[in-house]
Amino acid sequence: MTEVAPGFADSVDSVIQALSGQHYVTERGLATAVYLAIRLEKPLLIEGEPGCGKTEIAKVLSAASGGELIRLQCYEGLDAATALYEWDYPRQLLSIRLHERDRTTTQLESEIYTERFLLRRPLLRALEGKGPVRPVLLIDELDRADEEFEGLLLEVLSEFQVTVPEIGTIRASTIPLVILTSNRTRELGDAIKRRCLYAYIGYPSAEKEVEILRRKVPELSPHFAQEIAEFVGRLRTREDLAKRPGVAETLDWTAALLALREHSLRPETIVETLGLLLKDAHDLETYGKEKVAELLAAP
Amino acid sequence: MNSGTSSSALGSRLESRVQGFLDRLREQGLRSGLTAGVDLSRALSALPLLDRDAVREACRATVAKSRAELAVVDRVFEEYFGSLDLPVTPPSEEGKLPHSRERLGRTPSGANAPAEGREEVEEELHGRYSPVAPPPVPPRVRLASERLRQYRAGARRFRRSVATLAGRRWRSHPVGSVDLRRTARAGLRSGGEFVELARRNRSPRRADLVILWDVSGSMREHTTNLFGLVYALHRVVRRTRVFAFGHDLEEVTSLLAGRSYERALPLLADRLRPTGGGTRIAHCLTEFRRRHESEVRGTSTLLILSDGWDLGEPNELADQLRRLRGRAYRLVWVNPYAAQARFRPATAALQVAMPYVDLLASPEDFPSPHGPARRARSAVPG
Repeated sequence: MTEVAPGFADSVDSVIQALSGQHYVTERGLATAVYLAIRLEKPLLIEGEPGCGKTEIAKVLSAASGGELIRLQCYEGLDAATALYEWDYPRQLLSIRLHERDRTTTQLESEIYTERFLLRRPLLRALEGKGPVRPVLLIDELDRADEEFEGLLLEVLSEFQVTVPEIGTIRASTIPLVILTSNRTRELGDAIKRRCLYAYIGYPSAEKEVEILRRKVPELSPHFAQEIAEFVGRLRTREDLAKRPGVAETLDWTAALLALREHSLRPETIVETLGLLLKDAHDLETYGKEKVAELLAAP
Repeated sequence: MNSGTSSSALGSRLESRVQGFLDRLREQGLRSGLTAGVDLSRALSALPLLDRDAVREACRATVAKSRAELAVVDRVFEEYFGSLDLPVTPPSEEGKLPHSRERLGRTPSGANAPAEGREEVEEELHGRYSPVAPPPVPPRVRLASERLRQYRAGARRFRRSVATLAGRRWRSHPVGSVDLRRTARAGLRSGGEFVELARRNRSPRRADLVILWDVSGSMREHTTNLFGLVYALHRVVRRTRVFAFGHDLEEVTSLLAGRSYERALPLLADRLRPTGGGTRIAHCLTEFRRRHESEVRGTSTLLILSDGWDLGEPNELADQLRRLRGRAYRLVWVNPYAAQARFRPATAALQVAMPYVDLLASPEDFPSPHGPARRARSAVPG
């Protein structure tokens, strides 16, 4: 097994420490899933609430291990040509034109379908990693891609190989650490889930959010961090919200409050900056000054 | 805690029980196959077996494949390994990071206490009992095979009529993007000369369905037929999410996926048993929007299966429907009484809903070739 990085995956605790060193505060459950993904060389599928650190963990793992981060952002219509490989058609045509006089058609055909004319997309690049450290392949928001795209991933994720009909099978010599994320906009297929370990990231507890805030925004006072975390926590419990704020929104909001030189929460400032927490027009309309004051005063 | 239990002895006991644990999970509706078993065994060999939380986290990571399944794994883990003398995890050395014990509700003494996160999922799975109405138990009555075939044929017609997503396969077409591969191949035949640009495109062949199925007491007598219809739609339209609602909302897609009608029926009946307390359509739609709104896109057809008897505020329902209609491609309301000649959308909920509904249909319309498929195609989006 290729090491992710020396000492990085010796135990669940070492994973927690490595993530913590990158200011990523994690639950033991997620750290266990990451540890097992490294040890078992299996992809890790992470689902969870938006803005709670699914994508971030791949970036942090890459930074902590020193492995290259290769990112594939999924979207509807994503296909093999964008995710896996594509032939460099303009170069192939140019080559045909250059050699059409001194080559037969068969010769031309065998020459233009070689690795020289292959454009490597993220999945293939991740499989061709040759360094001592495993690259980190982030397949982000897989639920946005078509279901058929999942079929394309099956060979990559289970065998860590890709078959290019014109060339043959390209097999990874260094198994990448694969992190897949999904916002659950649709249910992923069973075949893909079967090949992955699974972890879920929910909203953090107030204590955890305070710790995240203090790690990410060191200039924040402990008291203000507590106030912010408790307010956001109360906001998340509201049934009438269309979209609940994630940790990313809390961090943006905190940065805005500090930029406005605030040192404690006031209803006026909250209302003025609430757009950084709530991303739905109806939610913003609902939460006026009175409702915010009521929420702020709630035990 | 039995400190004398050696790790190897515990390991052999654990391994011998892994298969039984997986069997128990399968009985609870999880499709934990051979791969999950192999993964779990490998995971256990990579973790300290004396650490109860580590074993539980290994089970969660390797066997569960969704948030709902995490809750099932937790429950079965407690039931199945409860008797196995696993000590709790020693406190973290750093003492800073939140420990899984707190999250899973296990106190240092080893007693079980339901944790916050877990309670939330449990509620999501089973709903809450309320004395307002008798709990509806979906009957386990099977539909005749012929009827199921009719529903499936109707579902196929319906899929074609609301197809919004391009099929995977590219087809040669005079209009569309340039097909470089075919152009290059053709160029090869003419000595590398670009004589003609080949083009291709993808026509819409797939649909995107979100089904909101009212399983409250007033719909009880229609459950058998509606389950047949829901099952057929889920089977035929690959991108289908199914949510059951009554007093609360719960997703049931995973109970249908990959299962035969005969296997899915008792699972669904078991899962829906504890819900009750009257229908709260507006509340459930609000909950649906909050948790799953992003699943309704411009390509999605939203199917609401309900008789329209609602305890909530009609204005709130209208507001939720307006918002959902604004996001969806079509909104189809399937009312079990809609086929009756004397039927009028007279309930307060249906009256406020009608302006946002593209098509009002009955389950009995689906088997008919002239049913909702044809009418959905011609329904004008709002």
